[in-house]
Amino acid sequence: MTEFTKPFDSSWQAYLLLVPTFAVLIAFLYYPAVETFRLSLYQTLLLGTQKAFVGLENFKILATSPEYQRSFVISFAFAAFVVVGTLVVSLFVSYLLFEVSRGTSSYLVAAIWPYALPTAVAATVLMFLMHPTLGVITHYLEALTGIELDWFTSGPLAFVVVGLVAIWKQLGYNIIFLVAALNNIPETLTESAKLDGVGRLKMLYKVYVPLISPTMVFLVVMDTIYAFFQTFPMVDLMTSGGPSGATNLLIYKLYRDAFEFNSLGKASAESIILFVIVAILMYVQLRVSESYTHYGA
Amino acid sequence: MSHIQLDDLRKRFGDVEAVRGIDLEIEKGEFLVLVGPSGCGKSTTLRMLAGLEDISEGELRIADERVNGVAPKNRNVAMVFQNYALYPHMTAAENMKFGMKSAGDYGDDEIERRLDRAADILDIPELMERKPGELSGGERQRVAIGRALVREPEVFLLDEPLSNLDAKLRVQMRAELLKLHQELQTTTVYVTHDQTEAMTLGDRVAVLDAGQLQQVAEPQELYDFPANRFVAEFIGNPAMNLVPVDVVEDGGEVRAEHEGFSVGLPDQAGLDDAVGQSAHFGIRPEDVSLAGNLPADAPTHEITVSVTEPLGESLLMHCDVGGDEIQVKAEPRAEIRPGDDIEVGFDEERLHLFDQSGDAVYHSTSATPKTSEAPLTE
Ligand SMILES: Nc1ncnc2c1ncn2[C@@H]1O[C@H](COP(=O)(O)OP(=O)(O)OP(=O)(O)O)[C@@H](O)[C@H]1O
Ligand SMILES: [Mg+2]
Repeated sequence: MTEFTKPFDSSWQAYLLLVPTFAVLIAFLYYPAVETFRLSLYQTLLLGTQKAFVGLENFKILATSPEYQRSFVISFAFAAFVVVGTLVVSLFVSYLLFEVSRGTSSYLVAAIWPYALPTAVAATVLMFLMHPTLGVITHYLEALTGIELDWFTSGPLAFVVVGLVAIWKQLGYNIIFLVAALNNIPETLTESAKLDGVGRLKMLYKVYVPLISPTMVFLVVMDTIYAFFQTFPMVDLMTSGGPSGATNLLIYKLYRDAFEFNSLGKASAESIILFVIVAILMYVQLRVSESYTHYGA
Repeated sequence: MSHIQLDDLRKRFGDVEAVRGIDLEIEKGEFLVLVGPSGCGKSTTLRMLAGLEDISEGELRIADERVNGVAPKNRNVAMVFQNYALYPHMTAAENMKFGMKSAGDYGDDEIERRLDRAADILDIPELMERKPGELSGGERQRVAIGRALVREPEVFLLDEPLSNLDAKLRVQMRAELLKLHQELQTTTVYVTHDQTEAMTLGDRVAVLDAGQLQQVAEPQELYDFPANRFVAEFIGNPAMNLVPVDVVEDGGEVRAEHEGFSVGLPDQAGLDDAVGQSAHFGIRPEDVSLAGNLPADAPTHEITVSVTEPLGESLLMHCDVGGDEIQVKAEPRAEIRPGDDIEVGFDEERLHLFDQSGDAVYHSTSATPKTSEAPLTE
């Protein structure tokens, strides 16, 4: 028998041990957040060495800027493309992984390794694979379809290419969760369906998807955050927001405003807006899914 | 012609041989129970019948057709699982309809008709719109059985369907399953580890141990004429007493000699071969009676009571006889205390002898071996 021991003699010891965590949180999370909010109310020059309080002026400028509006729309379209694409492809791959009975772990590793790649590396590698003139993939695609795939000059093509790279990079993360969720479904459900002769596709969308819907909601939220915030390196390395703004996502525009055009105040306002957008999206996703999701199998 | 035929059916999982050559024929409309201790291969056998487990060796025929490689859905069997396997996000009705709808062979009217009929038979029409999470264990099991019923399969396979229910509900569902089978007369294979369930449900009972069939017989025959020690001890509760004896011939009479008793064995088949051997003498606790209940001239033996267990409807006594323990069932209110010496007699029509390898060599009443099968030897 183990005796119950009080972990700490007094509460101040406990607080003391929490200090490092709080210090890190405050220094790198709460303080910058507050500072960003404060900065968004200023107009800044020369990397913030000179600034003037302008109230909500930054937000007003953004709201009326056609360039910002365009970036706004593009970001939403991009997020929708990436979230839907990632979920559909990863669900398909996960289902195959779930059904295969031999060599499961090697397939799993093969499917999730892109996730382990640093984003910048992934973006660079794929950029060369899909390069309009040098790329292997583009070469064969062009040979097969006869269509010229010059995404360095075509806006819609560039949008799709960056989207595909973003999807490819995020697949691993989704697959890990989906395979785990699928493996949690009692095997007798599958067996019972086999006896009834239920088709595999029907089984997927009538039984498996409803049963793993809590995981899918989680992934929708995570993929949304990913699409809005973590796709910066791909845009930066592959298209620099171009051609003519077709891939100018909010997160990329924000960076340019801050560090190329030195408008720290405006960029702060943009990050506040981005934060609010994603927060609202998450709230809506969770509320909507609540009524559809089946929790507790 | 038998409906299901298992011919030297085997199943290996890597090095483990879970099922080691089962030969069995199941008649059309029969209720066959597969019973045995945990891990003996009951579920594996059933799953091979269903097609959920590949057959390593041997042949399986359903309705005279070899089905070894046939997909589960083409065997026209329905299975009820121990954990019900209901789809948690569907209502009872949807659960029952899902298979039929997916198979696509049935019209909507036909589906509704079968659904209503199954709901009526199982007395669950008012539960049809509830999801499994809103049903009790017994109700879920009914829905699961309903799902099998609507398929109107040729064969029902049930794997311990009642073991998640409480004792009272289990007895009730047992009776309902019997009624259901009498009504539908569908060939049924039922797996359980509970010998009471096996005895009450089965037209015939197949006893399995370590992947091998020990005996297939009607319940009473299994109880009266166990083919070997395993069946003798597995069927019946409390288990049959088995004590080592020497079988000797003494002035024209064959007797089983033990430190604590000596019993005359009525002449029956197999007795002559047993003479001069050491064997195990078997008698069920309920076939031992207190001397007071026997005619005055009946032979009795003295035994010492070590523990008493009042069971309500009877008194179970653990007794010492010549260094071995035997269990005795007496009337519930017998005034017997631990430590007492009592006189008991053995019912001479219910004596058994098993040889050193465990096979039954002798029963003191003649068996009517119409369905009894010889025990398997390795
Ligand atoms: N998939 C498997 N892989 C390896 N061994 C298995 C597998 N399934 C069953 N076994 C083994 O086969 C033997 C028989 O298992 P089975 O499930 O048929 O037993 P059972 O009689 O149904 O037992 P229980 O009453 O506990 O359900 C066991 O020893 C088990 O460990
Ligand atoms: Mg089992």
